Amino acid sequence: MFAQAETVATPEVLWWALVPLLVLAGAAVLLLTVASLVRRLPEWLPAAWTIVAGLAVLVSVVPLWNEVQDDGARSFLAGAVGIDGSTLFVTALLAVAVVATALLSRAYLTREDLPGVELYVLLLLSAAGGVVMASANDLIVLFLGLELLSIAVYVMAALHLRRIQSQEAALKYFVLGAFASAFLLYGIALVYGATGATGLARIAGYLSTTILLEDGMLMAGFGLLLVGLGFKVAAVPFHAWAPDVYQGAPTPVVAWMAAGVKAAGFAALLRVFVLTFGSWSGEWQPAVWGLAILTVLGGSVVAVVQTDVKRMLAYSSIAHAGFLLVGVQAASDRGTAAVLTYLGVYTLLACGSFAVVTVVGGAGDDRHGIDAYRGLGARRPWLAGAFAVLLLGQAGVPFTAGFVAKFGVIAAATEGHSYALAGIAMVSAAVAAFVYLRILVALYMEDRHLEDDDEAGAVEVDPAPWGPRIVITVSVALVLVLGVVPGPLVDLAKDAVPVLVGG
Amino acid sequence: MSEFLRSWLVLVVFGGLAVAVVGTFLGLGSLLRPQRATEQKVMNYESGVDPQGDRWSQSNIRYYVFALMFVLFDVEVVFIFPWAARLEAYGMFGLVEMAIFIFILALGLFYAWRKRLLRWI
Amino acid sequence: MIAMAALQGFDSLMSGDTVVAQNIAFGILAVVMIVAALRMVTTGNVVHAALYLVIVLAGVAGIFILLGAEFVGVTQVLVYIGAIVVLFLFGIMLTRGALGEDEEADTEKRRMAVLVGVLVLVVTGGAVLDSFGDAAVNRAAPSLTAEIGDTIFSQYIVPFEAVSVLLLAALIGAIVVARKD
Repeated sequence: MFAQAETVATPEVLWWALVPLLVLAGAAVLLLTVASLVRRLPEWLPAAWTIVAGLAVLVSVVPLWNEVQDDGARSFLAGAVGIDGSTLFVTALLAVAVVATALLSRAYLTREDLPGVELYVLLLLSAAGGVVMASANDLIVLFLGLELLSIAVYVMAALHLRRIQSQEAALKYFVLGAFASAFLLYGIALVYGATGATGLARIAGYLSTTILLEDGMLMAGFGLLLVGLGFKVAAVPFHAWAPDVYQGAPTPVVAWMAAGVKAAGFAALLRVFVLTFGSWSGEWQPAVWGLAILTVLGGSVVAVVQTDVKRMLAYSSIAHAGFLLVGVQAASDRGTAAVLTYLGVYTLLACGSFAVVTVVGGAGDDRHGIDAYRGLGARRPWLAGAFAVLLLGQAGVPFTAGFVAKFGVIAAATEGHSYALAGIAMVSAAVAAFVYLRILVALYMEDRHLEDDDEAGAVEVDPAPWGPRIVITVSVALVLVLGVVPGPLVDLAKDAVPVLVGG
Repeated sequence: MSEFLRSWLVLVVFGGLAVAVVGTFLGLGSLLRPQRATEQKVMNYESGVDPQGDRWSQSNIRYYVFALMFVLFDVEVVFIFPWAARLEAYGMFGLVEMAIFIFILALGLFYAWRKRLLRWI
Repeated sequence: MIAMAALQGFDSLMSGDTVVAQNIAFGILAVVMIVAALRMVTTGNVVHAALYLVIVLAGVAGIFILLGAEFVGVTQVLVYIGAIVVLFLFGIMLTRGALGEDEEADTEKRRMAVLVGVLVLVVTGGAVLDSFGDAAVNRAAPSLTAEIGDTIFSQYIVPFEAVSVLLLAALIGAIVVARKD
C-alpha cells in the first residue's frame, strides 16, 4: 500500500545558522522549566537570564555575519529557512530590543509588584518568532513566526493584572490581531493558488518567468498579505489598535512592540514584497504608495492633538511606520537598505523613549499625561535632557540618528521617482516635529506653578533604577554618535540586503 | 482508490455493527421489560439524593484552562498522527523531532500543574 | 464473519469503474448533513445545536474520506468535533444563560442570518464551480497520511517545531491571563 522508500531523506540542517533562534527558544524553554521546578526564583534571575540570552544572540550574529558576507546567503531545511544579511541584521535588532525590554521590565515589575517569569519567557518566545519571520523562506514559516511573535505579545500586553486598561489593550490587540492573521493566511492561500508554491524562492521564480493571463487571484493575494502585514506594523488605515494598546499595555512591553514587533513586521514586508514579489513591483507599489501616504500623514497629524504622551508616541510610531513604508515602496536595494537603517535607528529611539516613559509613569503606570512632564527640565535635568535628545531624534533633526534614517528613506523615494511621496513625507516630518516640540516645551518652558500648587508635588518623578538608566544612556549616546558618524550603521544596512536562495 | 476506501469501509462496518448491537439490546430491553413509571422512578438520578435546583449550573470560569489545554493537546495529536503512520521511515531523526515537540508541549502542562491550575476549585 | 461477508458484498459494488457505492455513501451523508444542519439552526436549545453541529462536521469528515483526503478527514474529526465543539460546549457551560429553549435568539436576527447564509452559499458555490467546474477527483491516488508525514518530516520540519513553541506560548498565555492574583 505504501510505495515509498523505507527511509525518508532527512533535510540538510545548517545548525550554525540556527544558533540565534535556538538560543532564544532554548532560553525560553529552560527558563520556564527552571521556574516550574523552583518555587521561588531569585528576583533578578529571569531578567539576567533574558539579558544574557539577548547578548548571546548578539555575539552569535557576528561570526554568522562574516560567514554570510564571505560565502553568500544560504537556504536550508529544504528551502524553508534562509540566512542572509537582512536576517542577521534584524536578528541583531531584535536581540537589542530584547535586552532593552528586559532591562526595563525588571525595574517595572519590581515597582508594580507583579510576578514576572512569564514576561521574560514570552519575550524570548516572541523574539524567537521574530527571528523565524526574518529568516523565513516560505510563507507558511513566515506565518508561524508571526503568530508566535503575536500571541506572546498579546499576553504580554495583558500582564499588568491590576490595570483594567492593560486587559482592555490585550483584548483589543488580540481580536484585531486575529483578524489580521486571518487576512494574512487568506492572502497566503491565494498566492499559493495563483503560483502553486509557498516557498518564497519558488514564488519569485514563478512570477519572474510566467505571464499570468488572469492575475485576479494573485492581486487579491497581494492585497490580503499587505492588509495582514499592515495591521502588524500599524499602517493607516489598519492602525486603530495601536494607540489604545500602546496606552494600556505595560510600558516595557510597549517598547518591545514598537521596536521588536515593528522590526520583524518590516523584515517580513521586505522579504515578501520587495524580494519575492519584486518582479511585480509595478502592481503592488501603488498600494504601498497609498498606504505610506496615509500612514505618514495620519500618524503625524493625529499625534498633534493627543494629550497623553504614550498615545503621542503611539501615533508617532505610526508615522515612523509610514516612513518605513516609503522605503519599502521604493522597491530597490537602496530602499531596502534605507528601511533597515531606519529600523536600526528606530529600535534605539523607541527603547530609549519608552524607557523614559517607564520612569516618568511612576508607580501604577498611569502618569502619562503631558502634565507629568511639565517642568521636568528643572527638576530632573538629565532625564529631561535625554528625553529631549530622543524626541529630537524621532523628529529627524540633523546631527541625530533620526535625520540619517529619514534622509535615507526619502532619498530612496526620490531615486525611485516618487517625488510626491517624498514631498508628503517631508511635510509630515515637519508636522510630526510639532508634536515633539510640544513635549519639549512642556519639559523646559512650562515650569508651571511648581511651588504654589500641591498637585505639582504629585508629579514628582522617582529616581530611575539602573535598568532604565542603562537603556536611556546607551540609546541617547548611540543616537548622538550615529547622528554624527552614521557610516557604520548605513554600511551595515547596505551589506544586509536580503537575498533569496532557492531550496 | 477502491483499495483506500475499502480500508475505511472496514471501519464503517465495524462502527455500524457496534451501534447495531447496542441498539438491538437496548431496544429489546425496552420492549420486553415491564414499564410502570412513578414520579420517583423518572426523576433524574443525582447520586442517590433528590435532585436540587435547575438542570443548569454555571461552571467556574477558571476551568477554561482545561478546555484550552485539551485543544492544544488535540492539535498535538493531529501532528503525531502522520508521524505514527510511517514511524520506521523517519527513524531516529523523526523520533528526536517528535520528542522535542512533545517535550515542549508537556512543559506547558508541567508549568500549569506547578502553578496549581489543575486543581478542583 | 458478518463483517467480512458484508465487505465482500460491498466489494462488488466498488470494483471496476462503477463508483456506485461511493455515490450512495455520499447521498446518505448529504441527507444526514442537511437534516442535521437544518435542525441545528431551528432548535432552540444551544446544547442541542452544538450536538447537531457534531453530526454536520462528522458528515464533512466522511465526505473528505470519500474524496480520498484521509488526513483532512481525520483532522476534521480531531480538531473540529474534538476541539471546536468541545470549546463551544465549554463556552455554554461557563457562561450564564438558560440551557433550555431560548425564544429571543430565534426572531429578530433570522432574516439577517438567512441573508448571510445565502450570500456565503452563492459566493463559495460560485467560486468552487468557477474554479473547478466538472474537474474530476483523481481516484487512483488518494492522499495518504503517510505522504503528509513525509512532507512534514522533510520539508516542513521547522514549521512543525515552531508549532510546538507556538502552542507553548498560547498555553502560558492562557495560564497567565487566567491566574487570579
